Amino acid sequence: MDRVQALLNCLYKEAELLDEGRYREWLTLLAEDVRYRVPVRVTKERGPEGGVSGVMGGMYHLDEDYTSLEMRVARLETGFAWAEDPPSRLRHFVTNVRIGEPRPTPKGEETEVRSNLLIFRSRWDRPDHTFLSAERRDVWRQEEGGWRLAGRTVILDSATLPTHNLAFFF
Amino acid sequence: MARVKGGVSSRLGRMLEELQEGIEDGLVPAWIFNDPELFELEKEKIFSRSWVYLAHESEIPNPGDYVLRYVLNNPYIVVRGEDGVVRALLDMCRHRGMRVCRAELGNASHFRCPFHGWTYRNDGRLIGVPAEREAFGPGFNKAEWGLCPIPRLEVFDGMIFGNLDPEAPGLEEWLGEIRWYLELVTKRSPAGLEVLGPPQRWVVHTDWKLALETFLSDSYHTLMTHRSLIELGIAPKDAKYAMYGEQIHIPGKGHGSMVVGAPPGAKLPPFWGYPEEMLERARTSYPTREQFETARETRILLVTLFPNFSFHNPIRKPDHKYQGTVPMLTFRVWHPLGPGRIEIFSWALVEKDAPEWFKEKTRHSYLRFFGSSGTFEQDDTEIWSHVAHNAATAQGRELRLNYRMGLELEPDPNWPGPGVAYGLNFTDANMRNFHRRYLEMLLS
Ligand code: FES
Ligand SMILES: [Fe+2]
Repeated sequence: MDRVQALLNCLYKEAELLDEGRYREWLTLLAEDVRYRVPVRVTKERGPEGGVSGVMGGMYHLDEDYTSLEMRVARLETGFAWAEDPPSRLRHFVTNVRIGEPRPTPKGEETEVRSNLLIFRSRWDRPDHTFLSAERRDVWRQEEGGWRLAGRTVILDSATLPTHNLAFFF
Repeated sequence: MARVKGGVSSRLGRMLEELQEGIEDGLVPAWIFNDPELFELEKEKIFSRSWVYLAHESEIPNPGDYVLRYVLNNPYIVVRGEDGVVRALLDMCRHRGMRVCRAELGNASHFRCPFHGWTYRNDGRLIGVPAEREAFGPGFNKAEWGLCPIPRLEVFDGMIFGNLDPEAPGLEEWLGEIRWYLELVTKRSPAGLEVLGPPQRWVVHTDWKLALETFLSDSYHTLMTHRSLIELGIAPKDAKYAMYGEQIHIPGKGHGSMVVGAPPGAKLPPFWGYPEEMLERARTSYPTREQFETARETRILLVTLFPNFSFHNPIRKPDHKYQGTVPMLTFRVWHPLGPGRIEIFSWALVEKDAPEWFKEKTRHSYLRFFGSSGTFEQDDTEIWSHVAHNAATAQGRELRLNYRMGLELEPDPNWPGPGVAYGLNFTDANMRNFHRRYLEMLLS
């Protein structure tokens, strides 16, 4: 299977695991040195460099490593994680996938993968829902046993989050 | 206490009477957490007359630095001028009322209105009007058309507060004796505090009083709401860990604090687990010996200022595998957006002179446990939103909620700090005190 198709499969598989709440399996997709970050986004003027801005390096909504992600998963398994118990109905829509060129690193061959993400979240029997829209900038690494997510930065499209917590994964 | 009088509808008047009658017996009607008419009255009587937290000085350290903040829906540019003075300027052009500040934060010597181009210095002075002579003639006096400052602005130990009421009492009087507890954090180090970046902001469908209550008096909820963290070994093993402390309120002011120590027999480091060097610095930077001794016995500290500011400073581990503990500090504004709807502004802070490794660890402690994704706070916001929903239902809104915890407690005569202290943190005393003040303002 070619590299592009393999990476697309990774993204779709990951979305399936997250939507189905199979978090232990999701953890197996992560590299041990994974860095998983969601920076705070703020409204800024268009800078001289052009493009959009407002990604604040100093503060995050999530700044995780493997241990802390595993902790969040373990918490969901305690039976007392009310924020996601009962679980939300989540749907990860992954689109506009852009796959970079492979590059060798001391830890293995890595590829940058960018994708657009729309997360639909519905809780309880309420008729309303929340949406979160973002771009994900991933680094996927070819390791023994398959591709692993080695880095993810989630560029949110909201400055003020329209949802009451981030009790799920992007 | 004043009885309900004019200025409110008879419906709301009856409701407030009910609140007034119940509060000393610890009975609070559920409707206070989601009622449109009450919210309008809160805007007028509470938020238009109270000292509201805007920003921390460390967010705008240099001349020209600014952040955009709100009191109710009024936008303010909180900006340090070239003269070093901090101001809060209403973000509304004096010509036709357009916003002149185009970002949430940044550095600017000027704010130029995008509508017709009036330009203001970062101290608020109007200095540029396109085609001034042709358009407004020679008699136009720019000095009269500067940006409007917030009616009152005061700073306490780096904390910038604003007040919409020009007649309001000064900040120092407003704070009163809660200052002693605020200083446990603001004066822990002679260097003071700094923010670790801009605030996280998110919306929760709940009432500001309900969110605030958690940080003002509800240590009882930790047992159940945060049980997942007890199971994971993050919170102390003794599920009643938040009970072992003093709950203190400042009568007449509405403020309160919870000062929690180690559960009996538990091995938790003193002084929140701050590094020894910081403990040493605290010894001389605290204004009084009592504050130092109290701080040394503290593991969790919360302070809530009436009406809608809280901070939380618990001992923590950055994750479940970490050996040892690192405390974290968060400042909160429970910003009211509407009935049953708030925006949370949440900052992480640390002592300016803390070691770099500590700053990094404390940032992680914050992110993993509090804030928008925090594993403690996630469950709080989930629960708050259901309470506020029920509080607006036809039958549910009439329910009297139970605020009777600790009604029989006697104040602790040995507590070294000011205010009325109880030696058991499982009490609603702070909340009953809050409601007395709340009613007093609503009715005056
Ligand atoms: S509204 Fe600002 S210049 Fe006209
Ligand atoms: Fe809580």
